Amino acid sequence: MRRILAIVVGALRMWFRSKHTLFWTLAFPVLLMLLFGAIFSVNQNPTFDLYVQNQDVVDGEPTYWSQAFCDMMNGTEILNLHMVDSTENATQFIEEKGAQRMLILPEGFNNSVSVHSNVNITLKMVPTEVDTASATVMGVIDQLVEGFNTVVTQQYPLEVVTIESENIVSETFKYIDFFAPGIIGMTLMTSGIFGAVAWNTRNKELGILKKLATTPLSKLEWIIGVVLYELLMGAVSTIVIITVGVLAFDLKVIPNIFTVILIISGAIAFPGIGMVIARFVKEADSADAAANAITFPMMFLSGSFFPLEMMPDFLRQIANVLPLTYLNNGLRDSMVYGNVSSALFNTAVILGVGVFFIIVGAIITNWREE
Amino acid sequence: MGGCPIVGKAEKNLHKEVAIEVESLVKKYGDLAAVDGISFTVRRGEVFAFVGPNGAGKTTTVEMLVCLRNLTSGKAIVLDFDIRDRKGQQQIRRRVGVLPQDFNTFDLLTVKENLSYYKKMYDGGMDIDELIELVDLKDKANALYKNLSGGLKKRLAIATALVNDPEVVFLDEPTTGLDPRARRDMWNLIGGLKEKRKTIFLTTHYMDEAEVLADTVAIISFGKIIAMESPSELISKYGGKTALIVEEGGKAVYDLLGQTLPDVRLENDGDVFATIKKKSDLPNAIVALDKNKAEFAELVVRRPTLEDVFLNLTGKKIVEGELH
Repeated sequence: MRRILAIVVGALRMWFRSKHTLFWTLAFPVLLMLLFGAIFSVNQNPTFDLYVQNQDVVDGEPTYWSQAFCDMMNGTEILNLHMVDSTENATQFIEEKGAQRMLILPEGFNNSVSVHSNVNITLKMVPTEVDTASATVMGVIDQLVEGFNTVVTQQYPLEVVTIESENIVSETFKYIDFFAPGIIGMTLMTSGIFGAVAWNTRNKELGILKKLATTPLSKLEWIIGVVLYELLMGAVSTIVIITVGVLAFDLKVIPNIFTVILIISGAIAFPGIGMVIARFVKEADSADAAANAITFPMMFLSGSFFPLEMMPDFLRQIANVLPLTYLNNGLRDSMVYGNVSSALFNTAVILGVGVFFIIVGAIITNWREE
Repeated sequence: MGGCPIVGKAEKNLHKEVAIEVESLVKKYGDLAAVDGISFTVRRGEVFAFVGPNGAGKTTTVEMLVCLRNLTSGKAIVLDFDIRDRKGQQQIRRRVGVLPQDFNTFDLLTVKENLSYYKKMYDGGMDIDELIELVDLKDKANALYKNLSGGLKKRLAIATALVNDPEVVFLDEPTTGLDPRARRDMWNLIGGLKEKRKTIFLTTHYMDEAEVLADTVAIISFGKIIAMESPSELISKYGGKTALIVEEGGKAVYDLLGQTLPDVRLENDGDVFATIKKKSDLPNAIVALDKNKAEFAELVVRRPTLEDVFLNLTGKKIVEGELH
């Protein structure tokens, strides 16, 4: 234990003194958060363009309830309404005008609402669009519908009007909610893989590993020390990222045990992968390059920055075998969406991967010479 | 043979005197024998130097003795423990200190932090402040390793081999790459360790280093020990004769000395070498030079060194570690 502690304390001291590692573990994730956060969260009181096609028209005049719904939308001051003639073909209109989203109130809206029978309104969105705006619009309309239902049915809120969206955006989360867990996952991966690679190759080149192998220190103690250090680094990065997210972008985080287990698993898995790399690529510089070759694609293919749904099928298949995918998804499920069953699955996967790689890494790491 | 109790007692006493005993040690990589059946004994408290060019098997031998590499065949006992025995290896690790070849420690830790890092790997050991004083780094105790000069870095490196107050210190090429002044500095330090009755196993390709420091020198070439004795014995056995060198003497001096001395040669740069075989050779030569008002740059009498020993034994010279 004293030996492991010496390794961790020494590593922390060096971390604190190295501008390079300080940048990658602290400044870089913060920079990413601020940069992407600023790009994707629009100003404080944004308005969103919404095209509305009211098909419930009698003698050229909108019916009572359909007009009431439009007035309600106008009243939010968030939605900037553009009325579309009821004769237009909605899909064609969207394509021609480059409209991003269009709400359609169907014919017979007024009649259905009057007798409290169910009617569907449709929100059409451009399928490739995944921005925070559409999610926000979706959220706003959702709430409007709820309010409208209450007004219509008085104290018995029945689901008279229901909303149907015709594309991929179904959740009402902000981009930062999606992005922050991705940055945590990415940081755990890069600092874990690069950390372990550097610890094993640079220290080997300096003769430090050889020197330590001549002392009573065992390989297992060394590896535990390195992993503990990476775990601390992971915790520090996570706390910094969440703090920036909460302070700067009003990130909502649900604290729970899965998040903790996921971060621990990630902090074991990636140093394990790093040790495997370090075993096969012996020179420090080439090992760095190898680590880059692995981390860089994984960063993008595992949905750290944008949703996997945006990617073509064959890339999604690749994403399915990358450990970072499960870490990212697990972190989102647990800390943002509060989706326990999905978080459990992702946690199990990443924990399994973590245990596997750390054991393989530990076994194949060369401690003594041939 | 060792069954009789009297012999047993004698062996026990002998073991108190012996730090390392190696018998027919072999390390093979495929068909290539990096170490090819060497045997030697290192007495406690002596400085034992392994001398030879790069690739001769010095480091491989050290790494087997400190349990970093497995041996192929043969036997080696370090401080009464067999290096093949797992428990013995643990004991050896506790009791020896090692300076690996080309060792550099953590750049971003201070002198003091580096030493206590390694010290924590052992139970007990030397007081760090005392150790810093011993290697004369007191002024630099709180300086980062990366900010030290090459010579000071090497001193710290040697100190890391002493943190556990070891009985045997292995120094694998401790002065390679140092400037001459830093090397002499290091010699003083190693000399100081010897006074503390540490057993020192030293490898080097510098002949002068072995000559100054070692009690016993083993010359190793292509995995085999080709000679092993004290430096003075090696020189008197294999070093050849004392030589008189008349620098820039040229053809005139060559002809002149050729009349009085039997073995004279003229080098390309004009230096004249004359081997001194009899006591009277040297005064005769000088008188001859003086009488004839010979012109030359300088007169040097050169005694043979370990370098001559190596040259005479192998027909080659070591320049910066490589055979020439």
